[in-house]
Amino acid sequence: MDFRIKYSNNTKVDFVIVGSGAAGGVIAKELSTAGFSVVVFEQGPHLKASDFKHDEWGYKHNGDLVWGKRKGHPQTFRKSVEEKPTEREVCFGYAHNVGGSSVHFSGNFWRFRPIDFNEASILGPIEGTTFTDWPITYEDLEPYYTKVDWEVGVSGLQGSWDPPRSRDYPCKPMPAKSAGVLLERAGIALGYNPYPAPVAILSEPHNGRPGCIHCGFCNGFGCEVDAKSSSMSSMIPLALSSGNCELRTFCTVSRINVNKEGNADEVVYWDDAGIEQSQKAHAVVVCANGAETPRLMLLSESSRFPDGLANSSGMVGRNLMFNGWSSAEGIFDQPVNGYKSIPTTRVIHDFYSIDPRHGFYGGGGIDSRHPSDGLPMRSALDSGRFGGARWGSEYKKLVRKEFTHTAAFHGHSTSLPLASNTVTLDETLKDKWGRPALCCTYKDHPDDIATAKFFQDRSVELLEAAGAKKINRTPVVEQESNVHLLGTCRMGNDPENSVVDRYNRSHDVANLFMCDGSSLVTSGRGQPTMTIMALAFRTADYIIKASKRNEI
Amino acid sequence: MNKVLSRRSFLRKSSKVFRQSCIVLTTPMILSACQKAGKDPSNFKIFSMEEGAEFAAIASRIIPSDDSPGANEAGVVFFMDNVLNDGREPEYEILKEGLRSLQSVCVERLGAINFYGLDASQQDQLLEEIEGGEFFETLRYLTIAGMLSLPEYHGNKNNIGFQMLGFENRHAWGSPYGFYDADYQLEGDK
Repeated sequence: MDFRIKYSNNTKVDFVIVGSGAAGGVIAKELSTAGFSVVVFEQGPHLKASDFKHDEWGYKHNGDLVWGKRKGHPQTFRKSVEEKPTEREVCFGYAHNVGGSSVHFSGNFWRFRPIDFNEASILGPIEGTTFTDWPITYEDLEPYYTKVDWEVGVSGLQGSWDPPRSRDYPCKPMPAKSAGVLLERAGIALGYNPYPAPVAILSEPHNGRPGCIHCGFCNGFGCEVDAKSSSMSSMIPLALSSGNCELRTFCTVSRINVNKEGNADEVVYWDDAGIEQSQKAHAVVVCANGAETPRLMLLSESSRFPDGLANSSGMVGRNLMFNGWSSAEGIFDQPVNGYKSIPTTRVIHDFYSIDPRHGFYGGGGIDSRHPSDGLPMRSALDSGRFGGARWGSEYKKLVRKEFTHTAAFHGHSTSLPLASNTVTLDETLKDKWGRPALCCTYKDHPDDIATAKFFQDRSVELLEAAGAKKINRTPVVEQESNVHLLGTCRMGNDPENSVVDRYNRSHDVANLFMCDGSSLVTSGRGQPTMTIMALAFRTADYIIKASKRNEI
Repeated sequence: MNKVLSRRSFLRKSSKVFRQSCIVLTTPMILSACQKAGKDPSNFKIFSMEEGAEFAAIASRIIPSDDSPGANEAGVVFFMDNVLNDGREPEYEILKEGLRSLQSVCVERLGAINFYGLDASQQDQLLEEIEGGEFFETLRYLTIAGMLSLPEYHGNKNNIGFQMLGFENRHAWGSPYGFYDADYQLEGDK
């Protein structure tokens, strides 16, 4: 029997949450367990651990989780507004299911560091960018990072390499893999400070969930035992068992309506039968991700908000950041077997801030992985990095060696915010619902490219120190797609140039909150999900307190 | 120009003509190789028998059966037939058009009606010429995918593809995972 609560569309629930991902799942749990009535809308299904398989074809080539063009959700891309957008299978990669991309992400889980919040005032403005400080500090967010550690579940090792933390990790670090040992030993030889990667994957049982069984299918896959700390595994079950939260799957929100007082009071959506419905609410929290949140705001235009809801600043959809990335790969004498266990077990953060005397802005970290995510099909398709046949009997031998004997050292780095990098509504292409497709306009800042190349150089040095027999550099190119969708409804104190305030509340609409990757003011150094979840706990905390004061 | 090698450039590229007598096989004969994968080719969803035979022949040059099983034993052609039937019309069109070009080259250059009737070295020579083109790359992609997808997609029979890679599709692994972490627990930061 299903004891879960169901609300009527005409009952004004306390909160509607749009999106059940990293942020939406956290906020749903926090608000519902605090006693508020909550309806969560999710475009996709509620997959559970038992639904997930090692199905590389389905997840990576068929769009089963990420959807995209094959599933009726095309997107377009251009480098600048002067170009005509071209249709793509996917530019913005995110999973369409309960838990969103926290279900299929790698679980790499770095906190931001104090400098990520105030770097602009330390370094000064960077011409042509919208680089600026956050309205909050690391200290403001630290208690919520710790909440994520313990409530969502993070494995790691406390040490001098960490940003300041008020409490130790709940779970010990994951066991080192060969690629991690290669990075650690090379890093120490070169005078760096490698350390165990903090990951949102349980190394041991925690909060009633089991520890990882090291199957190797994390990145792009859902965890088959609930050891990955997705909001689906960690938060949604608590929200549903509160008795106050209704989760409506296969429901796609089309717009948010405002009443004559200018408050958001109704959320319009297509239900699981494709029929248009609307849900009344006292307040709305949008956690649809850095691409979908701005699209929903732009689609919710009205005579009162002609440029889109909550967009008096014109900043909705702007300042899109992806995080930079680079890779160098090495082939080794002995088996590395990166296909086993989690994606990465060691990181180096000695270049968190690159010395400005290099002549460009940037910073980041290096981790060690399998060059093709440890995936059999992708490995065979990618094979040939170090030369050799692409088919035939020679190829059969080569793929075996490349699958088992390689490691990649990846750089994860900063993206500068640019007003010209945007999420907008495509002018011609429509999705299966008839909504304008997402249009991505993106061109990396030259400093982002310089930073990525800097990290690739460090990766090559590390591979040499690790004893790689051959080394390949994957060319650093301007990015045209990503899974980190950041900055498009940025947080700030000034309503003139930001979309939400320091508590993720819309400057324009008092009962509308936005919290997800879109809130980020700067990109961090990669791995944004930890910060998105921490912001979600902080937003929920504020909403609960403000509600009790009758301020929402 | 279409990335599928045009007949003209195909012929131009291969001025060193190799006209050898070719073994003429019948469609059922070539497909008997696929039947080793335990599938009945008369159950193709979209492929004709001829298409199945031709694509199977190409796949078995991309991943040959040599000292270990290849695309034929893995039933790759049945994977192709299955997934091309699922919203991949553009790729199927590329294959059909490319096959027509390839077959006309077989006729003009070698007097053979079908690619599958050529011997392995003739086949490889033709494939080398079209490597990098859309037709070959689509087939290479689908062959590799058919080797390494879960068997439920009708390829990778008995995990033959996984064995080719040295991959075991297990649900749990324990440390040590590879050579370099074997001594790590004992020695640590070395």
